Amino acid sequence: MTPKTPHLSRRQLLRLASAGLLGSSASGWIENLAARAAADPKRRRSCILLWMTGGPSQIDTFDPKPGHANNGPFKPIATSVPGISFGEHLPKLAQQMKDMAVIRSMSTKEGDHGRATFNLRTGYQPTGPIRYPALGSLVSKELENDQAELPGFISISPYRAFNPAAFSSGFLGPQYAPLIVGERAVIGGPDGGKLSLKVEDVNPPSEINRERADARLDLMEVMSKDFLAGHPGVSPLSHQDAYVRAVKLMRSKAVKAFELDDEPAAVRDAYGRNAFGNGCLLARRLVERGVPFVEVTLSATDGSMAFGWDTHQKNFDAVAKLCGTLDPAWSSLMNDLRTRGLLDSTLIVWMGEFGRTPKINKDAGRDHFPNAWSTVLAGGGIKGGQVIGDTGADGMTVKDRPVSVPDLLSTVCKAIGIDPAKQNMSDVGRPIRIVDPKATPIKEVLA
Amino acid sequence: MNDRRFLTGAVLLVLASVPALAPAADVAGKGLDAVASSRDAKALAQTIDRRLAAKWAEAKIVPVGPADDAEYLRRVCLDLVGKLPSASEARDFLDDRSPDKRAKLVERLLASPAYMARATEIWRQLLLPEADTDGQARFTSGPFEAWLRKKVAEEAGYDAIVREILTAKLGGRNANPYSTRAEPSPVPFYFAKDGKPENLAAGTARVFLGIRLECAQCHNHPFAKWKREEFWSFAAFFAGVQRQGTDDALGSIREVAGRRELAIPGTERIVKAVHLDGSEPAWKTRSEGRQVLSDWITSDKNPYFAKAAVNRVWSRFFGIGLVEPVDDMGEDNEPIIPELLDEMSRQFITHNYDLKYLIRAITATRAYGLTSTVKQKESSAPPMFSAMPVRGLSPGQLFDSLVQATGFREGGGNGYSMDLAGAKGRFLELFANRNERPTEAQTSILQALTLMNGQIVSGATSLEAGDTLSAVAEAPYLDTSGRIEELFLAALTRRPRPEELSYLSAYVDRGGPTGDKSKALADVFWAILNGPEFKHNH
Repeated sequence: MTPKTPHLSRRQLLRLASAGLLGSSASGWIENLAARAAADPKRRRSCILLWMTGGPSQIDTFDPKPGHANNGPFKPIATSVPGISFGEHLPKLAQQMKDMAVIRSMSTKEGDHGRATFNLRTGYQPTGPIRYPALGSLVSKELENDQAELPGFISISPYRAFNPAAFSSGFLGPQYAPLIVGERAVIGGPDGGKLSLKVEDVNPPSEINRERADARLDLMEVMSKDFLAGHPGVSPLSHQDAYVRAVKLMRSKAVKAFELDDEPAAVRDAYGRNAFGNGCLLARRLVERGVPFVEVTLSATDGSMAFGWDTHQKNFDAVAKLCGTLDPAWSSLMNDLRTRGLLDSTLIVWMGEFGRTPKINKDAGRDHFPNAWSTVLAGGGIKGGQVIGDTGADGMTVKDRPVSVPDLLSTVCKAIGIDPAKQNMSDVGRPIRIVDPKATPIKEVLA
Repeated sequence: MNDRRFLTGAVLLVLASVPALAPAADVAGKGLDAVASSRDAKALAQTIDRRLAAKWAEAKIVPVGPADDAEYLRRVCLDLVGKLPSASEARDFLDDRSPDKRAKLVERLLASPAYMARATEIWRQLLLPEADTDGQARFTSGPFEAWLRKKVAEEAGYDAIVREILTAKLGGRNANPYSTRAEPSPVPFYFAKDGKPENLAAGTARVFLGIRLECAQCHNHPFAKWKREEFWSFAAFFAGVQRQGTDDALGSIREVAGRRELAIPGTERIVKAVHLDGSEPAWKTRSEGRQVLSDWITSDKNPYFAKAAVNRVWSRFFGIGLVEPVDDMGEDNEPIIPELLDEMSRQFITHNYDLKYLIRAITATRAYGLTSTVKQKESSAPPMFSAMPVRGLSPGQLFDSLVQATGFREGGGNGYSMDLAGAKGRFLELFANRNERPTEAQTSILQALTLMNGQIVSGATSLEAGDTLSAVAEAPYLDTSGRIEELFLAALTRRPRPEELSYLSAYVDRGGPTGDKSKALADVFWAILNGPEFKHNH
């Protein structure tokens, strides 16, 4: 029996919206929904954000300072591009430099985890009543395929406590909210591959077989009919829409993407059998299935606190461990995407909320440092093999080519074929551009 | 609770409260006694009815008909105590023939402990909205909530509550946001604003006056009359507030006595504290900025203070304010019926800024008692409160209603834990709506999956674990239609309509796909709990 899932779906919302009957919707999400109908149905590019919770140390990763006390104990290693070196714990990535652009001149203003997390992830400052959407929501709105079985924004093992709003779809509404798998708690939690990255509650309890599940949906549809007819409001329609999409997800073939056990053991091992390694592998499987925006958070190594890059003490032990997780996972991701012909259409962004002080503190740690730090763009849409900006011999200041948060995000947009100046209607009835109009994309990075 | 006890209890409570409380206005900050408050509230409700009726006539709008008892009961329970009534409460109310049962119901709910929790939540969301969205504000909000609970229990007036916030003593044992020895106190209001004068100014204007000043912080506001200099002059009332700690971590908050001026960042300009209406502060020797500001804000003559509160309370009960957005009541944004907001604000002031008085009035209006069922097809909210707007349940209302309807019990955990531990904590986090309007509440895929397949509803619809379901399925005195009616009363606060009953009875009697009647009954309960009617306050 074919399930009669509720029919009041997006199509009806669109029909209502285009008829102009919803003119007074204040959140703007219906208008945004309508605008999407005009979008090109053919999928173009994908973006994978590797999010480094806590703020990673730039000197120990992508901006070493050989010969200066600020460099600390890590030795620089050569990359596949002459003249560019990384910290010694990223040997596999060093071989991928031809497909990477390292931005060493990030110059931002926020040194507080919560506000900086919001700033980097949305492109805006967390002030006032406007609920700015996360980058993933903005991108998925632009690139989502209406026929897709999977949501357009999937967030893998995030740690949201620094600023939950920075992980939300804000004024774009929950249809652009991330589908979250493997959420992290503050301390400990399972790792070593034990953190489940499956969609929670995607399967009915075992005693409910398909026939009974269909019967239940049928009952629900019959019983909802009168209520929906008499209550044509936005909220009941959104309820219907979510159920239609949830049932589609439950019954999709694409949900198999989350079955990492389908991968050969050698592949699992190459990525690393930990939350981040598994997450990068899952990201590849999701991009293969057309998901436009996937983010994978590296917030901890086994047993550590969930903001692992916040290395105020014992920075070098922690960064060595984190790089030991980052290096194989990220480089395997690039290799796999390249083999599958997907690297050219997939942009990989590596960033945290800020960098860390060049000066090493008394606890062998590094503190928060937004003045001069690094992010990395890799893969599709960019010109690899180059470094942008310069932080001098000691790493204390940006000597050349300062890059702001909007500059970075507008470059990301351009690289995946989105117009950063495009406007969305916000919750205060004012249109807001995807990226602040003051932004200048980094031209030399774009392919 | 059976019919008679329920009603007698309500009557007794009303009578008992007469001698216990001092009459009316001579005790500032105390609620009026219930009888006088009800009488005056009824008069205000009639004024509201007249104003709205005149507006409808003028705009040629025909309002919908009244809500039936079931719809009213569900609505008022969700609004006043944050959850559905039990099936037996619902049955008792529906079968009660007394003409004033709605007013009695409101009194009974207002006197219940659940109302205190709900009123605390309503005020907390209004006064400290950051705790819904910002992890640090939530983490440090404990003393604020404890203090607010005390205020609600004392029936403190809204003006007194705001005065205590604005003049809270900074320093001492409550100065540190992470102190484990903190006493109940409004100081976390200052933590949520990072102890910064500019954030305190913007938050104070938004919450207490319904005015958005944030944009004027950095540049002259393109739409409204406040300019950058006026913003910083207003912020100067908080000039003495000092924040310790670094950018990384908020430290203690203290106050330097006697500061009344502030430098506009990035400029050489120093501005003195000036009220938003341009008037000079009434300084006395050694008076502090916050004290003077508090007197001005909470003055009966302040043109915004009472109106902003009344508008927000109204929007709590209708999902939409008389002015929208509720925090943007500037001069270019007129309420739909200015005289109505004026009149309600005047009465709110006269009645000592008493929340219960406003609630009694609003719940007695014709508009609040209208049905939410409309004939038109528009998705937009009905114009001018000519029908009750449909509102999504808040995360707390949804969880508590699920618990009420299904008998779900959980071992531990609470909604404000940082680690999102426990069933309730995870549920509230997943359903958090982060300040969206209830009339535009939206559902995500994960929320739908949780309700379809997750622990709570799966347990509730299992014959072994579901308290309500197993009791209903096994009750020897019920036939199939009796069982279905019981599930409807428990979850939808109404009896099934005849066509629903015959359709569902046939399904249950045939045993659904499994041929088992009890399992088929579980399917019906699942469909009720997942449907849009359950998920809305309508």
